[in-house]
Amino acid sequence: MRYKDIGRELVILLGAALIAAFTVNHFSPKGIALVGQWVESQGVITAKAKDDIVLESLEIEDVKIAKQIYDTGKAIFVDARPRESYEDGHIKGAVSFPVWQFDEYIDGFRDQFTTADTIVTYCSGRTCDDSHRLAQLLFEEGYTNVVVFIDGYPGWDAEGYPIE
Amino acid sequence: MNKNGKSILGNSWIELILRLFLGIVFVYASWHKILDPAQFAKVLYGYDLLPAVLINLVSIILPFLELFAGFALILGIYPRSAALIVNTLLLAFIIALSVNLVRGHEFDCGCFSFGEPGYTSPIAQMLLGEIICFVIGLYVLFFDRPRRWCVLQSGGILKNISHSPNKLVSSHYRLLGRE
Repeated sequence: MRYKDIGRELVILLGAALIAAFTVNHFSPKGIALVGQWVESQGVITAKAKDDIVLESLEIEDVKIAKQIYDTGKAIFVDARPRESYEDGHIKGAVSFPVWQFDEYIDGFRDQFTTADTIVTYCSGRTCDDSHRLAQLLFEEGYTNVVVFIDGYPGWDAEGYPIE
Repeated sequence: MNKNGKSILGNSWIELILRLFLGIVFVYASWHKILDPAQFAKVLYGYDLLPAVLINLVSIILPFLELFAGFALILGIYPRSAALIVNTLLLAFIIALSVNLVRGHEFDCGCFSFGEPGYTSPIAQMLLGEIICFVIGLYVLFFDRPRRWCVLQSGGILKNISHSPNKLVSSHYRLLGRE
């Protein structure tokens, strides 16, 4: 009798929580997909939220391709990590643009680079989406030619490519 | 058990305070996870314990279990079952934290607030907090006397009180609870 009562109470409480959880997730602008992307070999990890900033189509998944773009000398590599990380080490010639201080940096960036320039953003690898965030913000500023190098500084460094 | 010990274990004011405390902790802990499920999912990914396919589902469901169990404790809606849910969650957190403590895995706990990027709380400290909550949860779970300020009470995990043979006592408590 007691266990039956507890079972009934649990069904009520858990049922209410489940219904609320999926309802809120469905209607919330911050809701996420039922299954996310959590496999690093398939790109930047993401819960695939409705307001997600990770756009797979922008991703350069191969370090060697990033290096080829780098070697053309025509692309601007932009470091989206905090300033201190940049100063500790970055891709040689990269510009620092900490994405969480976008408003402070955007004017200087606009003065330096035109919206037609080829821009490659990066951060600290596939568990970080700052590079994607920066790409989206740059699109909003009118930049049209932005891609994301998803292996970021650690991936670049591991290949022994030029850093400073 | 001596008389003193029994009065502490059976004291409905202590039960009320502990139950409210636990409820508030859980409602508070659920809130920022509900506001940013994607961030919470990332924290779960950082725990490195769940299969990839379950991370999002757990991120959607778990905060609402915390919220509903927390409110149920506060309002006294089936408090023993709410305590059962809370303790099951706490046990899972304790195991998750212990596993990562043993293997030296550092991550953002996701418990009370999201830290700055790269910030990690000392796991041992978080573990202590979870264990204290678990002990409080056990008290609420096993309390089998009439509880104070309850909307829907049904007893403790070991004993129903909804059909108490001593109606006088339970109605007396009920009156007290609603004063």
